[in-house]
Amino acid sequence: MQTVYYIILVPMVYIAFATFFLGTLFRLLKIWNEPKNPATLKVFPERGPKWPGTLYDTFLLPTVRKHNFVLWVFLMVFHISFLLLIIGHLELFKDFKIFQVIPHNIFMGRGFLGLFLAIALLFFLFRRFVSPYRELSVPEDYYLLILLFLTVLIGSQMDWARTWYDYGELGVQDYREYLLSLLYLRPELPLGVQFGGHSFMLVAHVFLANVFLMFFPFSKIMHSFLALPMNRLRRG
Amino acid sequence: MDEKTRDDLLKLFQSKLNRAMTFYLEACSRCGVCTKACHVYASIPQIKNIAAYRAEIVRRIYKKYFRAQGKLWPSAGEAKELSEMVLQELYDAAYSCTGCRRCVVYCPFGIDTQMIMSVAKLLLIGANSEPEMLTMLADMSIEKGKSIEIFKEGFLNGLKNLEAEVVKKWQSEAGETVIPVDAEGADLLYVALAGAHSIIPAAAVFNAAGENWTLSFFEAVNFGAFVGDPTRTRLILERIVNEARRLKVKEVCICECGTAFRVMKQLSGAQPFKVSSVTEVHARYIREGRIKLNKSKLQGPVTYHDPCQLARNGGVMDEPRYILKHLTDDFRDMSPDPKYNWCCGGGGGLVALGEDTLDFRMKSAKVKADQVQKTGAKILATACENCHTQLDNLNEHYRLGVDVLFLTSMVADALVRVQERESAKAA
Repeated sequence: MQTVYYIILVPMVYIAFATFFLGTLFRLLKIWNEPKNPATLKVFPERGPKWPGTLYDTFLLPTVRKHNFVLWVFLMVFHISFLLLIIGHLELFKDFKIFQVIPHNIFMGRGFLGLFLAIALLFFLFRRFVSPYRELSVPEDYYLLILLFLTVLIGSQMDWARTWYDYGELGVQDYREYLLSLLYLRPELPLGVQFGGHSFMLVAHVFLANVFLMFFPFSKIMHSFLALPMNRLRRG
Repeated sequence: MDEKTRDDLLKLFQSKLNRAMTFYLEACSRCGVCTKACHVYASIPQIKNIAAYRAEIVRRIYKKYFRAQGKLWPSAGEAKELSEMVLQELYDAAYSCTGCRRCVVYCPFGIDTQMIMSVAKLLLIGANSEPEMLTMLADMSIEKGKSIEIFKEGFLNGLKNLEAEVVKKWQSEAGETVIPVDAEGADLLYVALAGAHSIIPAAAVFNAAGENWTLSFFEAVNFGAFVGDPTRTRLILERIVNEARRLKVKEVCICECGTAFRVMKQLSGAQPFKVSSVTEVHARYIREGRIKLNKSKLQGPVTYHDPCQLARNGGVMDEPRYILKHLTDDFRDMSPDPKYNWCCGGGGGLVALGEDTLDFRMKSAKVKADQVQKTGAKILATACENCHTQLDNLNEHYRLGVDVLFLTSMVADALVRVQERESAKAA
């Protein structure tokens, strides 16, 4: 069992990050090497400066707000929580002053961000059970939602245990030791990480996150990088 | 489908893969916000009429042949082999999409379904499964560009008859040459459609405005664009570009044809002339006081249908409203924001296919008919040949009881004559 734990927590993490970074970079370079469209793809009458408009369209999703308000609320909750949780994970490496604009402990949101994220993901999933979204969906859509839901739920569970139930066996210090050892390429698994009561949860969370990272460059999640240039095209 | 055919088709697919196309094929998250965007779905709520569903038919082939996911794990994205069956699906998707790009307004990424359908259309051409009529019409246009001398005489004779009509109706403005052709050094080259209705009123307005203009030998309509053939589209376009350069005109003015305007404006590249739609030119004449219009000519409320290729996709939205303000005091907009205007249901070559598509065109444009009816207008103006034909059909089918009019004709009919203007000045 310890071997499996080790494979997931060390080599697989490296493989996942390499696949994510190199895969995404390779795919983006390949797309950017393609020729531009000969004609404008603008929708008229978008007026005013182009970049502010593009940023607005990309990050505030005004078209969704206008045409499907409920979906928009969940999308905003999802994307904002996701971003804040990425920041939370960065703070597991070290404390960054810049993130302490609003003073908080790791993770932000006292466990509620994970809860929001899980609920939003369930909403996205159940939405796809209903026509016409059911017919529009392909298996990839379900795989990704289930994968993310499980990753978030298990990850949050560890956070909830610490913040809601005073569980202390596996804490920030252990994560930090483990993650920094990975970062400095001298992988080491602290006792808490390997043998703590929550080790299984951690291994499951890391495993699912690894799978997600490896799938990322080959999935529709590439929209994270493409949404901005695409919205720029619509602004002309 | 044999190996060779498939390879050839995939090469055609490859030729369409530029950066924007790849964006559109990669990023769709199938969120379904576009569901409400399509007039076909709004009128006939079936899954196959949702923009994302149409696009997914092309996307499945893309995944199969151009993406790692489709090779390693085809079932995840339902990657699909290119087969005869798929060609039928492509046909149904591409020729039930009018390319109005209303879905681009809805999509959080701005995915352009018209552009994705252009892949479908090109594959159909490659498989000889496109509507033959459109290719035939495109080839005729190209042929005319190659052998203009053969067509010239008939064309000029035809014009003689038209000139007589122009003079009959608008005598004082006509001047010496009623319809100038091949006039080198003219300021403006007017590219019309084959049909008196596209030439006579335009000639009257140009003459009234004292424009130094000349009429193109060619029709503006680009059947190459309808059938989705980039090579033919360019050949048809180049006939006009060459003529404009030969005559050294400063401006090419495209008649009331949305697609012709968009192709000319957006695909002709950097040229020594500018491209305008006749609607823009008329608005300019009014603004500069070169023509005056009489408001008393039109009776009853007026509404205006924004042709998709002219408005949402071409940017000509304010000008027609400006013109209409000078034609009537009772103008009623159909939609508070012209970019949300419903398509008439006739774009993308559907009107050119005539009776074959009539039933579908009527059923799929029910929302358009409702939109017209809601305004309570008696006159329905538009600035596109395709839209005009389709709206005429809708008017009959849904008994809308409106007069469907071309904006140019309305301007021409409301022209205040020179002598009237002068006598008004004297008084």
